[in-house]
Amino acid sequence: MSFTGQSATGPEESSTAAAATPGGGLLRQAVVVGGNRIPFARTGGAYTKSSNQDMLTAALDGLIARFGLADERIGEVAAGAVLKHSRDFNLTREAVLGSALSAETPAYDLQQACATGLETVLGLANKIKLGQIDSGIAGGVDSASDAPIAVSEGLREVLLDLNRAKTLPQRLKVLGRLRPKDLAPDAPNTGEPRTGLSMGEHQALTTAQWKITREAQDQLAYTSHRNLAAAYDAGFFDDLLTPYRGLNRDSNLRADTTLEKLATLKPVFGRNLGAEATMTAGNSTPLTDGASTVLLASEEWADAHELPKLATVVDGEAAAVDFVHGKDGLLMAPAFAVPRLLARNGLTLDDIDFFEIHEAFAGTVLSTLAAWEDEEFGRTRLGLDGALGSVDRSKLNVNGSSLAAGHPFAATGGRIVASLAKMLHERGHVDGRPARGLISICAAGGQGVVAILEAF
Amino acid sequence: MTGAQPVILGDMPSLSKLYVNAAATAARRRVLGTDAGISLPPCGHEVRGVLAEVGNLTAFQHLVGETASDVLPAGFIHALAFPVAMSVMNRDDFPLPLLGMVHLKNTVEQHGTILFTEALDITSWAENLRGHRAGTQVDIVAQVRRTGESEVLWKGTSTYLAKGVFLPGIDKPSAPPAPTTFSAPDPTALWQLGVDTGRAYAAVSGDFNPIHLSVLSARALGMRRSIAHGMYLASRALADVGAVKGDSFRWDVAFEGPVFLPARVALDISSVDSLSGAWRHSDYTAWNPRSGRRHFSGSVSAL
Repeated sequence: MSFTGQSATGPEESSTAAAATPGGGLLRQAVVVGGNRIPFARTGGAYTKSSNQDMLTAALDGLIARFGLADERIGEVAAGAVLKHSRDFNLTREAVLGSALSAETPAYDLQQACATGLETVLGLANKIKLGQIDSGIAGGVDSASDAPIAVSEGLREVLLDLNRAKTLPQRLKVLGRLRPKDLAPDAPNTGEPRTGLSMGEHQALTTAQWKITREAQDQLAYTSHRNLAAAYDAGFFDDLLTPYRGLNRDSNLRADTTLEKLATLKPVFGRNLGAEATMTAGNSTPLTDGASTVLLASEEWADAHELPKLATVVDGEAAAVDFVHGKDGLLMAPAFAVPRLLARNGLTLDDIDFFEIHEAFAGTVLSTLAAWEDEEFGRTRLGLDGALGSVDRSKLNVNGSSLAAGHPFAATGGRIVASLAKMLHERGHVDGRPARGLISICAAGGQGVVAILEAF
Repeated sequence: MTGAQPVILGDMPSLSKLYVNAAATAARRRVLGTDAGISLPPCGHEVRGVLAEVGNLTAFQHLVGETASDVLPAGFIHALAFPVAMSVMNRDDFPLPLLGMVHLKNTVEQHGTILFTEALDITSWAENLRGHRAGTQVDIVAQVRRTGESEVLWKGTSTYLAKGVFLPGIDKPSAPPAPTTFSAPDPTALWQLGVDTGRAYAAVSGDFNPIHLSVLSARALGMRRSIAHGMYLASRALADVGAVKGDSFRWDVAFEGPVFLPARVALDISSVDSLSGAWRHSDYTAWNPRSGRRHFSGSVSAL
């Protein structure tokens, strides 16, 4: 290959014709029955004292109540958290045990940074398609308020060595290594381990590289708040959300924000770059607490339980970029995943009716759109004849996204899948085919996971 | 290597004793007004059967951001060979004062992997005594072979400057060249270096030069604050380049403004591939994000 990018086609391109499953049958469909989340809360707010397990259980119990799943043995529950205490090694199983589901429901934890929630949906959907399970609950949770804090490396080593020491003199010798600075705790941060740059600083580099203006970012943030507020007013979230700790709306939502107000905010990222700093607290997502869940099933299981079938999980794709040495921006992996996913399914951007592009930062969404519209990026990095194409803005994040709702890292995938499934079901058919939606989620470590859903 | 056969040392020299001896030599030369001449020692030093200590290796690897594998990082080998190099600079017939020498640049050629279980013969000598506008510079070369084998697996050349020392017949002071303007690119990384960075690297490298340890010990040698070890910075940059460099590579670094601790250091580390997509070299530049002053730059390239 002469180009150094990530081909939009490739060896993984293959026929999507039905294949045999382990049971000998053909691949069956995995449908989204519905979802439930708790409202998302800004960090230090209503959920300050709630643990990840508390919030995941609350979201799960709301889902159980909505779909009558009490004492039901679900095929498998998969969820995860990005900021996770070491004691929560079995977070999802513990949440299941604390929920109204049958205690015989197995569960596993998954962690893929901000793509965690979407990856749990894809993993369980694949198991359903293969006939390994008939039902599954995917989800995610994160608390930036109740974040784990570790002891310093010095104290940790002393404590571990103390445990290994056998005699009193040995223990005293180990304790003698302790220094006052070892008592300072080690708090988690959003810095990339290999670069030391925060996610916001990484995005500031990408935002500047794609020449995204402050005005365009503020406009996207404004639209997100306006769309989310309108969706709440229209009752769109009535069957997607269970109130928790006194919240019945996402606490980050500013229904009355204006472009003028957003324009007054001072830049917070990229102030040390040569280019003008454009990223503010208004066009970046705040740290948030929250949890979300999605109920997935085979058609037969949904029918047998007389439950709705909103949408099918058609396909998914993961990608990663070499951000460490600046070849691509940290959050640009979806720019490569989406073209590959579309190509495998014989689709173009014009065949999509709803775009759900996670708003980590307004700059992330706009940089991704700019890359897809760029001729050279299409040719040299995607291996296409030209630009991938343009996204019709009237189809983008129509009920708001993370800039307005907030972004409890692992919970964002479940929020988007449940909302998109409902939107697709409401739309029904477009031009004689099922309405189709595309989800794109960027993640730390230069990763991205994307998926296609279709109205059932 | 030119000149006589190296002197075989029975044991690895102790760096702390070498530093003490260097201080004593400096005092003696000042009091007695003696000097060591204007030529380099005629022979080098060699230590045979050197083994890395695995706990020390792990600590080094974690400190500079390498995975704790069984392969010795190129910067670790530099630290392993450093006492031998120091012992050469500590000889009575070495013409420059050891204390206060400035590490100007460093080049390493790594010709294959060395595992921590392998016994090594380490040879070091001084060569290429020459002038510099601000003093006299010299190359200290170190070579590492598996014990009993002739193939050189690692060769390091460290260029040091004795500031303000002008040996007769070598050079005269001259005006510094016009400062080259450096415009910082967009960083690909940002390092937060704590005030204990020098002490941490001293603990894993054995290089307890007082200028790296604390504000007070650095001030005693005329620095306003302690500074990071150059080879710590370069080793981190090498670790950042990662596995793409393979088993054989050349690693260059040139040091400019010292990194006073604590510090924030901005870096640009980027790779250059051939048209066929094969890696050719990775270049790195580090600077102070506030002042824009360059700290060091270099590259890792295929051999």
